Amino acid sequence: MHLKAPEHQVAGHIAKDGKPGPLVDDKGRFFKPLQGDSRGEIEVKFYESFSSNTEIPDHIRRYFPVYHGTQAVEGSDGAAMIVLENLLSKYSKPSVMDVKMGSRTWYPEASEEYIRKCLRKDARSTTVSSGFRISGFEVYDHKELSFWKPDRKLLNGIKVDGVRLALRKFVSSNTLSDTSSKPDAAFASSVYGGSNGVLTQLLELKTWFENQTFYHFNSCSILIIYENESIHDDDARAQVKLVDFAHVHDGNGVIDHNFLGGLCSFINFVRDILQSSDESTENN
Amino acid sequence: MLKDPEHQVAGHMAKDGRLGPLVDGEGRFFKPFQSNGRGENEAKFYESFSSNKNVPDHIRGYFPVYHGTQVVEASNGSGKLPHIVLDDVVYGYPNPSGMDVKIGSRTWYPGVSEQYFNQCLKNDRETTSVSLGFRHAGFKIFDHQESRFWIVEYKVVHGYKVDDARLVLRKFVSSNSLADSIPDSAFASEVYGGSSGILAQLLELKAWFETQTLYHFSSCSVYMFYENESILMKGRDGARAQVKLVDFTHVLDGNGVVDHNFLGGLSSFIKFIQDILERQQR
Repeated sequence: MHLKAPEHQVAGHIAKDGKPGPLVDDKGRFFKPLQGDSRGEIEVKFYESFSSNTEIPDHIRRYFPVYHGTQAVEGSDGAAMIVLENLLSKYSKPSVMDVKMGSRTWYPEASEEYIRKCLRKDARSTTVSSGFRISGFEVYDHKELSFWKPDRKLLNGIKVDGVRLALRKFVSSNTLSDTSSKPDAAFASSVYGGSNGVLTQLLELKTWFENQTFYHFNSCSILIIYENESIHDDDARAQVKLVDFAHVHDGNGVIDHNFLGGLCSFINFVRDILQSSDESTENN
Repeated sequence: MLKDPEHQVAGHMAKDGRLGPLVDGEGRFFKPFQSNGRGENEAKFYESFSSNKNVPDHIRGYFPVYHGTQVVEASNGSGKLPHIVLDDVVYGYPNPSGMDVKIGSRTWYPGVSEQYFNQCLKNDRETTSVSLGFRHAGFKIFDHQESRFWIVEYKVVHGYKVDDARLVLRKFVSSNSLADSIPDSAFASEVYGGSSGILAQLLELKAWFETQTLYHFSSCSVYMFYENESILMKGRDGARAQVKLVDFTHVLDGNGVVDHNFLGGLSSFIKFIQDILERQQR
């Protein structure tokens, strides 16, 4: 089994200081180290529960990575890793964005210390104001023919206008490292729009969240992926996936109103960009 | 002649010589300005809202009609104070059951003082706000067996957990004695259901909240009520169930972002009502 570090990680833990990071193989699988403090166990418990939950409709299941159990991997000191579908294996030049959903990342079951830490992060970012924050993104520059990602520190400090700009840059073709030119949002309708685009998928998820009381997806992210290779043929293959289930708890008969509120806010941001790009196309 | 309202369910009350709202018995409701600028904030919201052309008419109906401010004799004898003048929403309802539900998993918002933030966070965590996205602030439910209103002390309501919240929403539409531990939800369909029932109204509000970015309604309540006198004979038409949004002392500019806090809580509240309706229909 030939394992290596994944190419397009935009957020989350990476291999650092001898601590294991995620790995991918050449068979379309993603190996995620079990996080400490029972978070790894919670994530495994979620995947086990979710994969065997017969009440999850098929059209919703597609928004979650396929789970392949846990496995001890060579070179990780025999520590178990969660084996998942590699969401990027079918993409040759993917642009990826990670959006942490919810106006709070803490939850009642968490420790006081964790709650305090989250409150600080949530207040400093757009989580409190907008119901979500962009954890990271990487986008392909069609002029420079290379990938670009914003400075992590810069991203942490952005406000609402910065979010709007990032969402536009994510679907732009023009030189992204050049901050003087306005992002053209040329791919907004291919990626965000259409019957299979990001907006349609988010709306489908929203409907499920208005009723499902199985899980509360605390601190979960929505990953948005699209293919740059074929985008000029209008074939963006945009995909929305939910990831990071280290803090998922039982819904206990209550909907995940925290995630839902944030999701609705995010949907509105995407819709605004789509509408303004449709308008400018009409004017041209 | 102003007197204290008979059917108030939550908030500061004028009886016992305290400062609270008053009614004129002819359809007007006088709400005294709350301290620390909150009264001014509320008046400012009503001024803005009444002249805001971007609010659709069918949504306007969910808000009390505003009639400006007036200085009148306060209920606690402290002299003349400014009051917000509104339509008395329960005017014309001889015997209404009413319930006030504060919507949103957080009642604080960016920019508040640390002290206010800590107080709100404590209240939100102690009550069902964090877990459910809403909490009960007060209610007055007519007990058809005892022929009198059932009211629960504020301290007790504040301590409600998830199961209590569910139970009281069922009691709200029950015909059996409210002291019974198993409410019959006999009026669920007449009050919650139907094309103009509470659920339909909440869903209409929710649709507006999914796109409106004009206001963020921190700490606002959904006030729902219906008429008891005619419900036994005239069913849904007699019940005249209504939803109103009330309490605008902490409304902020939306700044182009939807009120995700209110929307999440409203969606959760809707799910609770839907569950009760479905259960009764089975």
